[in-house]
Amino acid sequence: MQTIELNHVRKTYDHFVAVDDLSLGIEAGTVYGLLGPNGAGKTSTIRMMIGITQPDSGEIKIFGKPFERKSLQKIGYLPEERGLYKKMKVFDQLVFLGELHGMSRADAGTRAREWCERLDIAEKLQSKVEELSKGMQQKIQFIAALLHDPEFVIMDEPFYGLDPVNAGLLKDVLLDLKRQGKTILFSTHRMDQVEKLCDSICLINRGQPVLQGKLSQVKSKFGKNNVQIEYVGNDDFLQQTQLVGSYNNYGNYVEVRLAPGADSQELLRAVAARSRVNKFELVEPSLEEIFKEVVGKTDA
Amino acid sequence: MRNMLLIARREYLERIRTKAFLIMTILIPAIMGGSLVLPALFIKKSQDKLKHLVVVASDQRTGNYMAEQINQQREVEGREKQQAEKPQARPSGGLPGAGRWTIDVDTNTSESNRAALSDKVKLKLLDGVIWATAENLSARKVPFITRDVSSFEENMQVQRSITRALQRDALEARGFSDAEIENLQKSIDLNPESPSGVQVKSIESTIFTSIFPLMVLYMSVLLYGINVMNAVLEEKSSRVMEVVLSSVEPKYLMAGKLLGVGAVGLTQIFIWAAIGASVSGSAIMGSGVDLKKIVGGRELAFFVVFYLLGYLLYSAMYAAVGAMCNSQQEAQQLSQLVTMPLVIPLFLIGYIIQYPGAPLSVAASLFPLTSPLMMYARIASVQPPGWKEIALSIALLAVTIYGVVLLCAKIYRVGILMYGKKPTLPEIVKWIKYA
Repeated sequence: MQTIELNHVRKTYDHFVAVDDLSLGIEAGTVYGLLGPNGAGKTSTIRMMIGITQPDSGEIKIFGKPFERKSLQKIGYLPEERGLYKKMKVFDQLVFLGELHGMSRADAGTRAREWCERLDIAEKLQSKVEELSKGMQQKIQFIAALLHDPEFVIMDEPFYGLDPVNAGLLKDVLLDLKRQGKTILFSTHRMDQVEKLCDSICLINRGQPVLQGKLSQVKSKFGKNNVQIEYVGNDDFLQQTQLVGSYNNYGNYVEVRLAPGADSQELLRAVAARSRVNKFELVEPSLEEIFKEVVGKTDA
Repeated sequence: MRNMLLIARREYLERIRTKAFLIMTILIPAIMGGSLVLPALFIKKSQDKLKHLVVVASDQRTGNYMAEQINQQREVEGREKQQAEKPQARPSGGLPGAGRWTIDVDTNTSESNRAALSDKVKLKLLDGVIWATAENLSARKVPFITRDVSSFEENMQVQRSITRALQRDALEARGFSDAEIENLQKSIDLNPESPSGVQVKSIESTIFTSIFPLMVLYMSVLLYGINVMNAVLEEKSSRVMEVVLSSVEPKYLMAGKLLGVGAVGLTQIFIWAAIGASVSGSAIMGSGVDLKKIVGGRELAFFVVFYLLGYLLYSAMYAAVGAMCNSQQEAQQLSQLVTMPLVIPLFLIGYIIQYPGAPLSVAASLFPLTSPLMMYARIASVQPPGWKEIALSIALLAVTIYGVVLLCAKIYRVGILMYGKKPTLPEIVKWIKYA
């Protein structure tokens, strides 16, 4: 069953087309990545999914039924920009947001305590939100989205601004949710983060889907045309255009996309001729690479 | 519906618990009470002060006579005032809380003496000099040299005393007895009545029953209206809006907010009323201000009704302003437009209290933007309007509120998700159509 289904959805603000003819479906129990650069239409899409705005045309189905507000009680939402009442105490805030999602006061209180203990912020329950660090606020926001045990979790840039320890903590929680059979939608422009988590993705650019499907399929479609090279010495080989289609130099290593028809062994010889090679590995292209390639094509 | 109440409860509890609420609740009555009671106390104190005057007259007899009359006049007026304040108390006789003024008589009418006495007044050796020469008396223009040239009450008292002394002198010369003279000089009391025979309240008490509560009404509507605006702005700028909107429809969010904040105002008003009721009749009432008159049951009931109506009307507009703007600065400019009609009644208070039945007063008490304050002012005035007019005013207001709330809810719904530049008027019109 599909948790959410968008059919030819379009949304415009004045003359600006935010989302244009977007269709996608998310299988229940999977992790889905909605990816794209800033301003691509990710947040507009999510807002329509949770009924904050309505699409101009097209159809949205949640849990197999046309959109109805009642469904919202089974959805957890973490907005892109964190939103909490600054002057309100953490506990009161969580209980309030839980109640808005249909929980009883007592239930919301119990669950708020449990979650805060799990995420190591139980001692802050009686603090005001404005007294917390940014990372802690993020955890609270995270809990607020999950408190009512939603079937479908929507996270807009969930790891933004988190240190690696906390990001890891939240990632574990999400994986745990996945094991429980929840559906998770990620929206982010940091593609590397989501790559490790997502089952399926949709890349959107300028309001239009440019690439969709299971992550493994998407990647295999683009083949192992990339080479990661760690080397010491001369980098003249990067200028051999009959071998190197494009490259990203990351400092410690360089990722090369082979020119069409080029042989990776030839490249290895070219590099080894002038430098010392520490590592030479054929890899799948990263989502970022794929995105650049696809967007480059559609723009052209 | 449940969510609307949850929103309202949150708004209510979060506000009630703040220090700001506590401070406002205590401070406002303190300031209001102070502004009423303190001047009264000061005036009373200055009236109780024993003064030292000099009467300069052309002959000793006239001088003595006037000096005697000033003290007698004070005694008579003191007694009258005491009786007006506590009609049940038996006149205790004598001057209230004070003794006789020291009044010297001087027959030296030379300019040099006048200069010397003026200097004494300047140096605070004397409180005043009455230059009542025969020439001045016959011209009926008497200079009174005093440091408190603007002390209305005292100057009137001196003026009345001298006039009476002159009348008395003339009447005595024609052989009238003391009793006859007193009878002749007694001023009459005017008791205005409406044509329907209803006893009209005194204008003094009206000033307290209208201006004082009207200021509170104005402040409550303004304060809590702006409060709603700031709450909307805060939710918008902190982006809590999106989280809340993912489970609550905008109209319920706005309605809950209006209810919650409005209830805070109502709580405050009831606390104030309770404070007023408990202190009336207590020690500070020695100043002559009767708070019972201010917090009468009928006035309180109408106060609450017009607070709620006025608050609903204005807070809906303030909510729309908050939704349109992105920052306090932006909102401040725009909210002035909303505040303006609320301020108009303040300029009209004086007129309405004096002429509650005049066409302008009636119009202002029916026109919905001004009626919450103006109708209340008329109800509390010397000549309250009939039930029909009150009902019409409330009905007009209710219809307007319905329309304004619908309109503002539309602006609110679109505005809360709009960030960036402030919308232009055509854009807002588009929002309203769109929603």
